[in-house]
Order: sequence, then structure tokens, then C-alpha cells
Amino acid sequence: MKTFGEINAALRRQNKKNYLLLGSCIFFSVLLITAYVSMMRSPTVLTILPEGGDSRKQVMMIFGLAAVGCGVFTTYAGLLFFRYKSREVGIFMALGASRAQIRGQLFKELTSFSTGACLIGALLGTPLAWCIWQFFRLLLVDTQEMSLSFDPQAYLIAATFTAFVLSSLLVMGKRFIGRTNVMDVVNEQRKSEPIHDVRPWCGPVGILLIVIGCFGGYFLPVFFVTVLRWYPPAWTNIAYLPLLIGLYMVLIHTVVRGWRHGKSRYKNIITHSMMKFQGRQTVNNMLVITVLIAGAYFAAFYSPMLGTGAMQETQNRPIDYAFHYRADQNMLTRTDIEKMVSENGVTITSWKNTGFAVLGRDGQKEIDDEGGKYHFEYRTLNGEGNYIPESSFNFMTGQNIDIMPGKFAAVIAEDGTGDDRTPVDSTLLTNMTTRKTLNISFQEYLHYDMMAASYYVLDDADYGNITAGLADEWFEKLVYFNVENDLQTYDFAKKLFSSIVDRSGPECELPEYYDRVEKIAADEAGETYWGDTSSMTQISYAQRDSSQFKQFWKYVPQFRVLDRSDFVATYAVFLMLFVFIAIVCFAAVLVIGYTRCLTIAINNRQVYEDLRHLGATPQYLYRSVRGQISKVFGVPAFIGTSLIYIFYIMILFFNDNRMTKSEISGLINCLFVVLGMSAVIWAFYRFTLRKVCGMLKVNASNHRGL
Amino acid sequence: MLQVKGLHKSYKVGKTTYEVLKGVDLTVAQGEFVAVMGPSGSGKTTLLNCISCYIPFDGGQITLGGQELKNLNENSLAKVRNQKLGFVFQDFMLLDGLSVLDNILLPRIIGGDTSKAMEQRGNELCEIFGISQMKNKYPAEISGGEKQRTAVARALMNEPLMILADEPTGNLDSKSSRAVISSFEDARNKLSATIFMVTHDSFSASFCDRVIMLKDGTVYRCLEKEKKERGAFQDELLEAIKEMSGDVA
Repeated sequence: MKTFGEINAALRRQNKKNYLLLGSCIFFSVLLITAYVSMMRSPTVLTILPEGGDSRKQVMMIFGLAAVGCGVFTTYAGLLFFRYKSREVGIFMALGASRAQIRGQLFKELTSFSTGACLIGALLGTPLAWCIWQFFRLLLVDTQEMSLSFDPQAYLIAATFTAFVLSSLLVMGKRFIGRTNVMDVVNEQRKSEPIHDVRPWCGPVGILLIVIGCFGGYFLPVFFVTVLRWYPPAWTNIAYLPLLIGLYMVLIHTVVRGWRHGKSRYKNIITHSMMKFQGRQTVNNMLVITVLIAGAYFAAFYSPMLGTGAMQETQNRPIDYAFHYRADQNMLTRTDIEKMVSENGVTITSWKNTGFAVLGRDGQKEIDDEGGKYHFEYRTLNGEGNYIPESSFNFMTGQNIDIMPGKFAAVIAEDGTGDDRTPVDSTLLTNMTTRKTLNISFQEYLHYDMMAASYYVLDDADYGNITAGLADEWFEKLVYFNVENDLQTYDFAKKLFSSIVDRSGPECELPEYYDRVEKIAADEAGETYWGDTSSMTQISYAQRDSSQFKQFWKYVPQFRVLDRSDFVATYAVFLMLFVFIAIVCFAAVLVIGYTRCLTIAINNRQVYEDLRHLGATPQYLYRSVRGQISKVFGVPAFIGTSLIYIFYIMILFFNDNRMTKSEISGLINCLFVVLGMSAVIWAFYRFTLRKVCGMLKVNASNHRGL
Repeated sequence: MLQVKGLHKSYKVGKTTYEVLKGVDLTVAQGEFVAVMGPSGSGKTTLLNCISCYIPFDGGQITLGGQELKNLNENSLAKVRNQKLGFVFQDFMLLDGLSVLDNILLPRIIGGDTSKAMEQRGNELCEIFGISQMKNKYPAEISGGEKQRTAVARALMNEPLMILADEPTGNLDSKSSRAVISSFEDARNKLSATIFMVTHDSFSASFCDRVIMLKDGTVYRCLEKEKKERGAFQDELLEAIKEMSGDVA
């Protein structure tokens, strides 16, 4: 004889599609989150992403979006499941099953199959991440640094997400069972979820809130830093909230009211009303898809922006080979290099070298206060700067500039960038050996890409005066030379790079941001220099081929052929990580959109049958299905894409109040990414449309042209 | 068997409260076949749902077999639904994944009984209601009338004090409706069942011993069949409905 458990098992078999849908949604969410978190917490990635750096923050931010998206998605799948389950539970209740009896059965099956789905998702998440990574290594780039390792702690985050999924399902289940009105439970499946009272102003106000959110979120931290002199606390991100509210309002307006009025409103009245009466869940799903698309593009844009800028920078360099080194180093001489050149069949076409001095400069030092605030204090030894005499500058650059005595010029890039990283408020220079000082003031900016944001130019006489008695350790040599067919001199460049590192002493094993003047000032004040405290400041000659070394060594040479060829390898982890994130987010978008569309098909099966009975033509039915499916994919894709593109333009522009050529080129490349991804979304939309048409028995193939 | 005194029930939609039942008083005796009729919005289904303990009520008293339902906890209410009441719904409410026989056995299975006797009782009910041939079929494979007879058999599975039926013929053609009403008569005659049926169909109601007319949430009138012919009683009911609608001066 059958028991209550066996009855439930029979019903489970009958409704296995609903169980499968929920199980797949849970599995997919946990799989994505585990894969993402495995990658995010991987020592391979963490070594490359500087702690507290923008890249790591971006990865975390997109992870937050993905986690919220997957959370909302599984909650939605749970609600859908309980909706299906309501009739059965309602009948049990009506026939006298106690809540405890139903709860026991429901929780038993919920926990068993949800835990199973979670476990499989969690177990396959890391192998999935590994497979995608290996695929990158195979197809795109493979470096020693790309060897992927995983941190078991990543599973803690995945487990937290899994716990959230399971507990939210149980809470939903408890609320579902806890309802006292049996008829409400029985009729749950038939209930629609109309959204009431969407006023005509909802959409326009939503757009306004999006704009306020974008600007507010971006400028509030800037306001904190520049006006309040306060490092923006995490809660300032709340300023982005109007953006989300605005998005929701725009989507609600689109679903419930639409933007077209007049005759066309009646043309789409069926589609529109169906969308409206699946209200809340449709809008929630569209919001999640919009946010995920925005996150995916934010990650996807990283590679083209970084790649375009770096490629253009190396391409535009007027010098093939440039390097600088401390004068007290036993560095390669011109003769040594010429010997290497002849051994490698390379021909030098021009050679220039000069010297410059590293001097202490005064300025306003940022002092941290309690509570995240800070203030500025004047320091005579605020930091170091590379100072070159005007004659040497003219010799190296071919320019003809004249610096007035007591003045200095700052070198920035040809396109004007770099001025924000080149302080010009110095009034006093210090010879770090004799402690002799020189009063100076800013004269002008000079433009030369090879020296941008790193060099200052002094009057020859001033340079002579201030550097008198300066020890060799504060002098540096700068070498520029060009070769024939520089793109074919990779092997020579590699050997020269290695020889320069070999000839550099341990005192030069420093990261680029290590400031010796600041270090001395801190030592003299009895303070600990920050550069000596962080592990991120460590550079090792032993890892001279690593991207960290190539990015951060203070004396790293600039060899065009090397930088061009090694670009992808140097930034491989960065690039691949962001490509990986984009793939994960886009995958989530496609699955959520697909699931939502299938739900629409299941819920509206009867409506389409009725429409058919009312004499609707296949063309009309097809248009109606297409109207709904295109909305689920099209509206979020349009809003998410345009929003993030505009936001990116805003960030690039307000970074330095200008758009450089490389930024514009990067944005054009991002546009190609958008076109590519939009094509994928469109293809998936067509696939989903065909599937839904098949489910509703609407013949799609005959009406493609409509 | 059933006593309803001063029953009040209201619904709140937004900020507006709609009072659906405004003090309903009625009684149903053991073995009686009673119908409740009334226009849309008169409170028929709400009355039935309150007696079924499906929805909570605001005021008044419902006593079933001497047991007051108002203050029962959830477990006790479930027990009342399972042991003392049987239900027949307009849209049958059969579970598609279970066979006809399994659907009939469901109240007993929910009650924890998995004995051979249970299956025997199920088979007997199939026999009484003429659905033995299709007892192993699934709801999707049988007609509307057969579904409703299955639902009647299910309602009687636990030998309840009373069967509550909500528009049981509402979704059926005349032939199937007649078969369902016959099954109620069989239940009353062969199993001494007490039946309380909400309907808007005067034909179905004319088979009942008594018809309670509801209007605007109160009992408007009560008509007894007594020794009358079914047709005559139906005419009487139609006259009463006209009068209630204000068609008769």
C-alpha cells in the first residue's frame, strides 16, 4: 500500500520538469559562483591583482553583481517551483494533511535535491574554471604565470552562497506552507501578478534617476576626496542606488505602459497585457539581466581598453630601445651593447645617451588622520624627481626649449595626458648628498612621450648648481637607440633585457613607486616608510620574466619589440580573468533569459490556444510571441549595453577631463566587442524564439520575414 | 450535524473592506442533502470555505458534529478536514500524477492508513460510483463526469460526517451532471452521507431535501422539498430565484 511519501514520489515523477527546472537553476547558479570565486580567490590571480587596486575592486564589484543576479535568479526559480507546487499542496491541505506533514515531505525533497544540485554545481565549478583557463592557455597565450592554482578558501564563499540558496528555499517553503487560507494556496498557480499604478511619469523619472545615480555614484567619492579631504567610505557607493531604482522604474514602464502610444498600442495589446500580467517576475528578471549585461561588458571592455592603449603607446614611441640606470651601477657600456648587436645581426641606426639627477623636491604631503580623513602638510623632502638639464633634454628629444633660471618644466605626453601624475607645485629642490637647496617655480609643460610623467627639465646652470657634489647613486644614465627592422630584433631585445637585469645591483631591486627621498625623510623623522611595509612593493630579479617585474621594476627598460610581443603574455592573467568574468556573466544572462522565456511559454499556453480559437492568424501569434521574447532579451540588452558604454565614456572623460586618442580608439574597439556580443545575444534570442514557438505550436519558420 | 450561527466574514482589498457574510445562521441535520443557492457575490462559496476551515472567519460560530471549529489549532483543523469532512470541487482537484484509485485513497493515506482495508474501501467506492473499470487510469484519461465521480468517491473515503461540494456540476454537461447528482444520492442512500452543496443550478438543487437561498451575505429564504416531485420543486426554486432577483412584484 502506498504511503504519503510514495504518493509524493509519484507526483515528483509526474512533475519532474518543474523539479528539473529548479534543480538546473540552482546547479547553474552555484556552478557559476563557484567557478567565479575559484578564479577570483586563485593565488594565480591574487598575485597579479594588487591588493586594494582598481582591478581587484572591479573583480569584486562584478562578483557582487553576479552573486546578486544568481541569488535573485534562484529565488525566482524557487518561487516558480512553489507556484507549480501550490495546487498539489493545496489539495493535500484541503483533504486534511497537516502542515507538519506537508512541511516534512516538502523540506525532505527540497533539501535532498537542492543540496544535490548545489553539491554538483560546487564540485564542477572549479573544474569548469580550470577548463576555461586551460582553453585560454591553449588558444590565446600560455605563460608560466598562467599556471592556475586554487585556494580551498574559495569554497568557503561558494559554501556561503550555497547556504544562502538552501536557506532562502527553506524560508520560502516555510512561508508557502504557513499560509492559513487553503483556497489561496490552491489558486496560487492561476494568480497573475499585475503591477498596478504605473504612472506616465515613471519611465522619464526612472531615466532621470539613472542619470543621477551615474553621476552621483561617480562624483560623491570625488567630492569626499577633493572637498572633505576624506577617503570615501564604502557607504558612499549608496549614491549608485538611484541608478538601480531608475532602472527598475524604466523596466516597469517598458513592461506595463510601453513607450509607444496611439494606434500602435492596440497593435501590441495582447503581447503587452501578457507581459504586464506576469509583472513583477518579468521586471525582476529583466533587471537582473540588465545588471549582469552591464557587469559583463564592464569586464569585457577591460581587455580592449588596456590593449588599445598599450599597443598605441608602444607603436607611437619615437625610440626603439630606451633604458635608464643608476650611475653607480656596473651597467653595459655602448661597446658592450654594440658587441651584442653585431653578434645578433642587428644594426643600430642612431644612438643617444645622457645623464640626469634624482633630486629631492618639496610639496604637500598627504597625512592620514583618524576616521578615514586626511590633511596636507608641507614637507621640504616630499619625494624624488628625475631632473634633466635643458641641453640634454633638447639633445635627446630634438626639441629646442629654453628654461629660465629658477624655473622648471614638467614633461607630459604628446596628447597632454600625465599632468595629473606630474606635480608642479614644487618650490624647492634638494641635493640629497650635500643637502644644498634650490628655489624654483613651474614654467611650463613640455611634451615627449618617452619621458612623460617622469621627468622635469631645469635650466642648465641651475642643474649644474644643484647637482654639484651629488653622489653617483643619485645620478642616472638614459640611453635611447634605434635599430633597423626593430620588430625583427626580439631575440636581441630579450638578451639585452636580461643583461641589464644581471648588471643591476640589489640596491636597484625596487618597485617603481619606491621613493628613496621619501624613505630618507621617513627615516629621519623616525617614521616607518610605507614602501617598506607592504609585500606588494617587493620585486625580485629571480622573476624577471614575470608580468609583475615587467610592470613594476623601477628601472625596467622600454624595448618596443619586447613590449609589443610580450604585451599579451605580460597582461595575460589580467586579460584572461576579465574575459573569464565576462563569459560567466554573459552565460548567466543567456540562461536567465532562456528560463524566463520558457516560463512565459508555459504560462501562456492556454492564452495562445484561446487566441487561436478567436481566429488569430499564425502571423499574429508569431508576432505576439516575438514581441515578448524580444522584450526579455532586447530591452535589458539595449539598456545594459548603452548604460555601461555611456558610463565608461564618463569615467574616461572625467578621469582627466579629456578624451585621448588611445581612449577613443579603445572605445571603438569596445564597440566591436558590443557588436560581437550583441550578435551572440541575438542568435540566442532567435534560438529561444524558435524553441518557444515550438512549445506554443506557433509555426515560426513561415513567418521569419514578419 | 452542522450548526452555523451569526457567521461573519469580510475581505479587504486595498483600503476597502467588503463584508461578504453578514451573520449567516443555518443548520444541517444528519443524512440531509442540502443545497445553497444565490446570485453571484451572495457569499455561497465563502460560506462553504468557512465551513471547510479553508479560510478563517471573523465572527460567529460553526459547530460540526458537536465540535466548535472557531478556536481549533492548525493540526486539529487538518484532522477535521481529513476525518470529518469530504470535499468535492468544481474543477475536481484531482492530482494528475496519481491514478483514479490512488486519488480516491488519498484522504486515508494522508491520515496515515496504508492497510489492505483501505484499498478494499477504495474498490467498494469505485464500484458504488461506477468507476471500477477506470480505477487504474489517470485523470487525464477519463471524462469530466468520471473525474467528478472520482472526487465524490474520494470525499467519502474517510466516511466523513459531511460532504461539502462547491458547484460540483459547474464544469459538466447535463449527462455528467446527472451522474454526479446520482452519485450524491447514492452516497446519501447507501452510505448515509450528509451533503452540503453550493450550486447555482436549479436542476441540481431540485434533487436536494432543502435549499437555502443566500442574498447579500444573509439567508434570504429556505425551501423544503418535502414530498414534492423534483420538477415541481425546481419550478418552486425558479420562482424563488425570480422573487429574490426582484422580478416578481
